[in-house]
Amino acid sequence: MKPAIAVAKWLTRAFAIVLLVIIGSTLLVRYAPGYLSDAREMDSRYGDAAREELSAEAARSGSLRHLLSTEVSAWLRGDAGTSRQYGIPVAELIRPRLAVTGRLLLRALILAWSLAVCAALLSSARRKPSLLWQSPATLLLAVPTAAMATLCLLADYGGPILVMAILLAARDFKFLHSTLRKAWLDPHLLQARAQGIRLPRLLLAHILPAAAPQLAALVSLSIVTALSALVPVEVIFNVPGLGQLAWNAAMNRDLPVLLAATVIMAFAVTVAGMASDRAGGWRNA
Amino acid sequence: MRRLVTAQISIAALFIAALAPVCAAQAAPRMPGELAWTIGYDPKTFDPAKVDDQESELVRYLTAGVLLRFNRFTQKVEPQLAESWNLSPDGKTVTFKLRSGLQFSDGSSLTAKDAAWSIRRVLLEATKAPVAEEFLSPAGVTVVTPDPRTIVVHLPQRVLGIGKVFDEIAIEPADRPSEGRVTSGPFVVADYRRSQFVRLRPNPHYANRDASGKMLPYAAGIRLDVLENHEQEIRLFERGEYDLIDSLPPDYFELLKKRTPSSVRDLGPSLNTEQIWFNQSPQAPIPAWEKSWFQNRAFRVAVSQAIHRADLARIAYLGHATPAYSFISPANSAWYDRKLSAPHTDVAAAKAGLASAGFHLSGGVLQDASGHPVKFSILTNAGNDARLKMATLIQQDLSALGMQITVVPLDFPALIERLMHTQNYEACLLGLENVDPDPNAMMNIWLSNSPNHQWNPSEKTPATEWEAEIDRAMNRQASSSSDAERKQAIDRVQQIVADQEPFIYLVYPNALVAVSPRLKGVQPAVLDPSLVWNVENLYLEGAR
Amino acid sequence: MKLKLVAASALAVLVLAAAVIVVAPGASYARQDRESTLAAASRQHPAGTDALGRDRLVRVSAALLLSLAGSIVASAITTAAAAGIGALAAFGPASVGWTAMLLCDVFLALPWLFLLMMVRSALPLTTSPANSAAITFMVLAALGWPACARAVYRGALSFKGTEWMLYARAGGLRGVQVVRTVLPNLVTLLLPQFLISIPAFVMAEANLGALGLGIGEPLPSWGGMLLELDNSAMLFETRWVYFPVALLVTVLLLLEAAAGEA
Repeated sequence: MKPAIAVAKWLTRAFAIVLLVIIGSTLLVRYAPGYLSDAREMDSRYGDAAREELSAEAARSGSLRHLLSTEVSAWLRGDAGTSRQYGIPVAELIRPRLAVTGRLLLRALILAWSLAVCAALLSSARRKPSLLWQSPATLLLAVPTAAMATLCLLADYGGPILVMAILLAARDFKFLHSTLRKAWLDPHLLQARAQGIRLPRLLLAHILPAAAPQLAALVSLSIVTALSALVPVEVIFNVPGLGQLAWNAAMNRDLPVLLAATVIMAFAVTVAGMASDRAGGWRNA
Repeated sequence: MRRLVTAQISIAALFIAALAPVCAAQAAPRMPGELAWTIGYDPKTFDPAKVDDQESELVRYLTAGVLLRFNRFTQKVEPQLAESWNLSPDGKTVTFKLRSGLQFSDGSSLTAKDAAWSIRRVLLEATKAPVAEEFLSPAGVTVVTPDPRTIVVHLPQRVLGIGKVFDEIAIEPADRPSEGRVTSGPFVVADYRRSQFVRLRPNPHYANRDASGKMLPYAAGIRLDVLENHEQEIRLFERGEYDLIDSLPPDYFELLKKRTPSSVRDLGPSLNTEQIWFNQSPQAPIPAWEKSWFQNRAFRVAVSQAIHRADLARIAYLGHATPAYSFISPANSAWYDRKLSAPHTDVAAAKAGLASAGFHLSGGVLQDASGHPVKFSILTNAGNDARLKMATLIQQDLSALGMQITVVPLDFPALIERLMHTQNYEACLLGLENVDPDPNAMMNIWLSNSPNHQWNPSEKTPATEWEAEIDRAMNRQASSSSDAERKQAIDRVQQIVADQEPFIYLVYPNALVAVSPRLKGVQPAVLDPSLVWNVENLYLEGAR
Repeated sequence: MKLKLVAASALAVLVLAAAVIVVAPGASYARQDRESTLAAASRQHPAGTDALGRDRLVRVSAALLLSLAGSIVASAITTAAAAGIGALAAFGPASVGWTAMLLCDVFLALPWLFLLMMVRSALPLTTSPANSAAITFMVLAALGWPACARAVYRGALSFKGTEWMLYARAGGLRGVQVVRTVLPNLVTLLLPQFLISIPAFVMAEANLGALGLGIGEPLPSWGGMLLELDNSAMLFETRWVYFPVALLVTVLLLLEAAAGEA
């Protein structure tokens, strides 16, 4: 009974999130300036065609109630609509890009966590905190993504996976360092070390379990950061993934594609939250 | 402790080293003899009749066979698929004689029937082809084919430059529109990956041959990569992955010039202009006193006189621009007016002009006659570095007059909404791209009832006498058959614009391009596509 | 303790130096010396000039006072909001916690870019650069809380179940006092979040310049100066383009040292 209730609770939650995201995104995109404008209007050769398309779109999305009900009912049916920019079904646009983005995210996350964990273990174990160990991470946080991309291009070394991993590792390192530092300074750890317990056992049996809830929270935080770092990285490196699609859709006010992208993102965030819940062994008290 | 952690770190380092080459910036693999360059975004359509954006136009130019080609270099209309053509004296009948033995890329023969079908399809209302409007009244145009090699087009009214219109009509197989997969031009669309690249392969049945009888095109194919990022483009160009860059920002031009000086070329002023204008629309939701400033000629002339155009060219464009005073660039030799008299930089005259218009300085701030401080905003589009620099330079220039300016960069859709729909702006700094040297193409900007009449769109009747005079002059040149009369009319329009300054012209940006030393046959032209207008004659060294 | 004091005083010295440079007579962050653009260091311009001939040193100092102040305040607000919401969600009734985390997830997924555009279009176009900067930072602060709130929520929940918490609540600790006891233990989460948010807000402000929000010309924007680094043409032009990054890293490290790690 209990697992069924938990699953039902999770499904309700996911459904509520998706519904709210659809409504919120539609409101935001529709009423932001520029929804009913097109750059081709400025070109006297193409102006008329553009104006016709825009008045059709204005008729379709004129009344807020009508627009919302159309979008929500379409999504309930499983129909993501047609892209305003490309004129093809949104599902067709998204399918090939899911794989690309998924691969990029997975590799970047694995690399980032390896880097962050190694660096954090090293820096947190020192007797006195040293700012010198913090500086590489601080430096990486202060450099914009675009600058990192340019440096990679100039050095002919590295690409989207490396840059994303570095961005994530720098952020994760800061959290991990704090958490592990606190765990190292626990009194019972001092006793364990005094008793001569070797390092690997120390890590596995004492530090990691003590820091487990924090680490689990960090996993979800890390995934959320990864999702938001995805868009700039994909756009700058021209990776044909979901982030680039979402950015183009935002710049061109392509509502159906943007809705699909935000729903996927909401789903990913929910799953990340759930996964870290499980990992940390936490349920809502 | 140290050993374990060192081990972990070295594993991570190996990881990075292994991954990095895999993730380095790469273009798609090249085939030998294939030309490659970038386009800024996906072509919206491959159907030549529906082309309504620049990149689709490029693909059409490279693949479509046309009856007449407007030679971008000589700026004259030449027969292409047609062997010869003739325009009747009243301008209402166009007769084409097709070459013999023409074939489409799939081997089927090309006859007058296909040409007529293609023209009729473009004119059909259902197709919504943008080029149909160039016929002025497309519904009344009839096309007949007296024999398999002759096409006669009857126009209900004379169209200026009708030859150039046929440059945009692709001849496709009758009843089989193929979206560029079956063409009669030098190339055929072979492959398209959204947001990645468009691949073209040579047309095996292309009619043209070079002087020695060899088949054209020389190149083994073309790859157009969808890439907006200048950094990547430059990097890949230097590595030899791309053969040309057709518009370089000035700072990247200087960078490439330092590294590979033989690859960059400054082609001199382009046909484009950068200008600033004030919102003179009576319906604009801006305060009435601001409207009175912007509608005041003395105010606009003073602003024009206070701007140091030489500084704009030198600093915002690193010297790769020319100060502008009119909408016709010196590169447009046929229409340029050497005798134009326009206000040049003269801050003292600007101050005097403002004073005589009732403005006065009060504590360093300029105020109008009723005491309102002169404060306004200049809109421009975000992402254009040169325009933002120009706006900031102008901000300082105008502060010498006591005017307080805010510079507001907006993203393009939001900017367009303000310019074209709500008229909720004060001043705007934008550029105009002129693809056609003939000023007739600018009718929609100068006619006062047009929605593109930027400073006061869609006027029911001309708001001022000088706008009415511009209307008359533009209509005169559109209906005149004498070149001298047309030039006179355009000169008059230029003079009115210079006197009234509805548009305050700033600079003509230079055309900056980069061409790989391996690419042979390039003859840069002023008109678009400036580097590949003769694409069939381009080839890579060592691959011919 | 000594490190904290040294770091705090170093920060104070930096801020004071920046203020002195900005108010010095003859110093202007806006005046364009059009004859010497992208000039090397000289007596007149100790750190050279930027692309429009404006003195770099004065601009970086003004940016320190403006962008950095704005980012630090916005960061503090965001972190405080995340802490408050996370803790309240953990210690309130379960339904409140469930709803709060639901809203958190929804917030994270929504495209807030468009809200920023709407804010820009609602403001008059002649909003002064300083005002539009303040508004930008306020909006960024209001949008930043979801990132950390869930982590705070989990952390607070973990304390809720510990023995000492049980004893404290049995002993009569109520409401706000509970929250006040828990918060110091959440510092391991909140402090890194605060420090990470500062450069993130600096950069976000620069990127928002593209929407018309952000710090308008001629006010110097630190994010804008950082973004100059993405242009390889600039990187080869002058070494002074690295000055803002170096200064930012120094300030962040000093902040970290001053805020103190146990």
